[in-house]
Amino acid sequence: MTFKNLFIEHDLAPEVRQWLEEEIAEQEERFKLIEKEMQDLAPTREKWYQEFFDRITTIGFNVDGDDKMKISQADLPVKPEGREDRVVWKHGVDSD
Amino acid sequence: MARPHIEPFCDRDTGFKNMILPGFAGGMRYKMLSLDVDSGACSMTVQYDGGYRRAPGFSWSEMEMIVIEGELQVGDRTCRKGHYFFVPAGYALPEISTAQGCLVLVMYNTGEPSHEESTEHHPLAQVDLYHSVDSYMDLPWAMGNVTKPSVAAGCLIKLLNYNPISHAMTFLYCMTPGYYQDNISYHDCAEESYHLWGTSWMMQFGEVPTGGYFWRPAYINHGAFASEYGCIALGRTDSKLFNHFHYNPWSTPVENVERSAARLYKRDPLLYKWCLSKDHNHPHGPEDFEDTMQRRGDEQGHDTEHKSDGKTHDHWHGHHHHEPGSPHTHTHADGTTHSHD
Ligand SMILES: [Fe+2]
Repeated sequence: MTFKNLFIEHDLAPEVRQWLEEEIAEQEERFKLIEKEMQDLAPTREKWYQEFFDRITTIGFNVDGDDKMKISQADLPVKPEGREDRVVWKHGVDSD
Repeated sequence: MARPHIEPFCDRDTGFKNMILPGFAGGMRYKMLSLDVDSGACSMTVQYDGGYRRAPGFSWSEMEMIVIEGELQVGDRTCRKGHYFFVPAGYALPEISTAQGCLVLVMYNTGEPSHEESTEHHPLAQVDLYHSVDSYMDLPWAMGNVTKPSVAAGCLIKLLNYNPISHAMTFLYCMTPGYYQDNISYHDCAEESYHLWGTSWMMQFGEVPTGGYFWRPAYINHGAFASEYGCIALGRTDSKLFNHFHYNPWSTPVENVERSAARLYKRDPLLYKWCLSKDHNHPHGPEDFEDTMQRRGDEQGHDTEHKSDGKTHDHWHGHHHHEPGSPHTHTHADGTTHSHD
């Protein structure tokens, strides 16, 4: 999904195409670095998840605005077996 | 595949590159934040060096920008930090320049960065859509509850641009010091943010500092949220923003979109069933008769069906006829109007 507003058709000069290719290649490198950093953050994130569960079962889960509801321990989710913790999804629902 | 998920990224971690695309004068440097690999649409942090000067002209792409630091001269107007511009494709800006240099967030929405020297707007430019505002000085903060369920009360917004058809938004938002919101969110739209100042935290991505950025495709979990000392950021969505809150950090984008569809089914079952049961494979969705119905106009018997792919412009608004050369106004399907002389 992206912006669907007006774009005026025009020809792309060869140097513009070249620039786009280089930028796309650099973005690919940037993406890989981010993905790696976020994988490395997984152990810390595990603690953050646990702290989140602690807060929503004691202080409450923000249902709407500042309206909070305490979640019972029994209602907390179970991590599906074999599922790795993943937060970066290159193409959202179309990610590999 | 549009823009990939870039999150988190901080522009302070990279150096500026010289802009070499034709039309942009020397003295413009940039850091790429995200780029649509199909269209070339992109968001960049741009440094205009002291003495920079760009001739009047327009872009083939719709464009938005906000001054981050310094002063940008746009024609005879001096624009300071927080000054925001929405510039339709083909809209000719006057000369821009900066005496001391300035930092600007520049976003090309529908195509690659381009600048065609011109003192005239392109004939297709939807000139009435242009607007600019000093968002720091001339707009009040409003509650962030533009959608329900809503963000926590310490998140405030200033709406900068709104598309009445897609509900896409550009807005400033701030988090008050001590802000926190304990839920996980995802949306049916892409979301983008640039931290103009300050640091916020999300449970998936850690801290996003000044210069921090994300482009996040739809259905990706983010939150819980917190900001110890507060922050101010520019945010955008590319269609309607709805907060799907939950507390399962392990759900995937596919599970999230299925949940969105399940919620649609629970809320609007007739519409959901109709969409599924009718074979309407038009790539831009079902027909909206308000866009296509024959209108009386001045003549009879002409073709009133629009043929737009969402990019090109062929009078996909209701079809009016006019005396040649007479001034007239069109209303577009996105709720905007523009005039021809
Ligand atoms: Fe969000």
